[in-house]
Amino acid sequence: MIDDILNFLDPYWWLIIGVVKAVVIAVGLLTVVSPLVWLERRLMGRFQVRRGPNRVGPFGLIQPFVDVVKLLFKENIVQKSADKFLFYLAPAIVVFTAIVTFSAIPFGEPIEIGGQTVGLWGANLNIGLLFIFAVSSMGIYGIVIAGFSSNNKYSLMGGLRSSAQMISYELTLGLTALCVVIMSGSLNLYEIVKSQSAIPNAIPLFPAFVLFFIAGVAETNRAPFDLPEAEQELVAGFFTEYSGMKFALFFLGEYVNMITMSALVTILFLGGWNSYIGLDIPILIFAFKVFLLLCVFIWLRSTFPRIRYDRLMTFGWKFLLPASLVIMLFYSAVKVYSVTA
Amino acid sequence: MMEFLDQLWSFSLDRETVYGLFQQSLVFVIGMTAVLASLGVVLCASPIYSALYLIGNMVCLALLFLLFNAEFLAVVQVVVYAGAVMILFLFIIALLGSKEEKRDLSFQNFMGLSFVGTLFCELLLAMTVGETQPVEGGVTPEVLAELGSAKAIGIELFSHHIVPFELASLLLLVAAVGIISLAKFTYKPLRKRTRT
Repeated sequence: MIDDILNFLDPYWWLIIGVVKAVVIAVGLLTVVSPLVWLERRLMGRFQVRRGPNRVGPFGLIQPFVDVVKLLFKENIVQKSADKFLFYLAPAIVVFTAIVTFSAIPFGEPIEIGGQTVGLWGANLNIGLLFIFAVSSMGIYGIVIAGFSSNNKYSLMGGLRSSAQMISYELTLGLTALCVVIMSGSLNLYEIVKSQSAIPNAIPLFPAFVLFFIAGVAETNRAPFDLPEAEQELVAGFFTEYSGMKFALFFLGEYVNMITMSALVTILFLGGWNSYIGLDIPILIFAFKVFLLLCVFIWLRSTFPRIRYDRLMTFGWKFLLPASLVIMLFYSAVKVYSVTA
Repeated sequence: MMEFLDQLWSFSLDRETVYGLFQQSLVFVIGMTAVLASLGVVLCASPIYSALYLIGNMVCLALLFLLFNAEFLAVVQVVVYAGAVMILFLFIIALLGSKEEKRDLSFQNFMGLSFVGTLFCELLLAMTVGETQPVEGGVTPEVLAELGSAKAIGIELFSHHIVPFELASLLLLVAAVGIISLAKFTYKPLRKRTRT
């Protein structure tokens, strides 16, 4: 009986593998978020010389799960003046784009399972890098729509700020990523990692790496660039009116975006799953690098004060963008020289 | 159970047929969604919904590109139109505030509708008359599969069409400079402005 089913399913392995991969990536991402919240609160506590969550479970480890239960059972408030459809749509867009973006990220060499070669990625696209930028740029809509549909001035300002900020910093992000594309000659993330088997891109492309990381922090709306949700000025920015699980979805989207950005930096600049010290545990090495970058994100948040809005725009347009243009031109020249010479 | 599986087996649903059927139905569904979304753009009363329908339409077009193996074009469509241009549209609409248009069927509306109806009928007529010519080019699907669409487009643009491509980029540059010079306001220091 089971043999029959297996025989029948044999030509359709590719389909089953695809479905399993999709489920694993989505569920894995969503489970990683709550430990990440715990890590952030714990580290922030240490940085600010206090304890952080330590009451629920050992070291407060159960805290994020308790929080999830709390958020699930909270009353779901939708004010009368809100545009209901868009109000419900916005958090869905944020989470959807965040998860889909991660699906194009490879985190290891293909492995063999039961005679089938399984690539450790959701989808190995020839244009993986562009795909990630395209989908993550759609995520801005979630924020703008949330700000607009709440029918609240603070929310609207938060949404507009965020869209302006993300558009401005996306340019820098794209241009610095283009340096990597120029040097490795491919838009495929797997090929990009392959091209770094000798030395990670962060060393020859150091300025691009720094600019990419700064723009990445701004792109994920993290402190010190968390202007869209500046508590002191805008209450909570675009999600002021959201409560319960819908609020949690924005939170979820932000953390998934943070993970994706760390993974992207790891792939583009830190050599992906190459260990460089002779260790052969690709997934763990990849995860370790992502973990380090996430800690840097948290470190930045607790170290720097939020910068003023006009300074943010000036910094983005008058410093980061010209600098990244110059860097891109420089690396193009290097590439042309190395090809012709 | 066995018989049922054998029956299924006898259809011999190999990968190509499944893909073909699936792709055709997808093309149909996405195409219809695109048409409906573009209808929504013009028929919707509130501007913000119109803009959202337009985004939906663009995403559908990108999906169609994707289904016809033009992955680079699909992604560029999303990045440029849905990601950058439309966000500015939404920005303006959100800033200016959106009022719902009143719907009343006046004489002008009636005339407009009848014109649209006539044009639509003409379109249907044109569809039945002749079929469109396929585009001829040096890039065959085999070449495309080997190079990847990004590389193929790059080679095509920068070898055969370099002059028009550069001219177009010059045009865009001129437009950008023009916009800045048009939008530039005479800047006065704050003190002088408060006095006058």
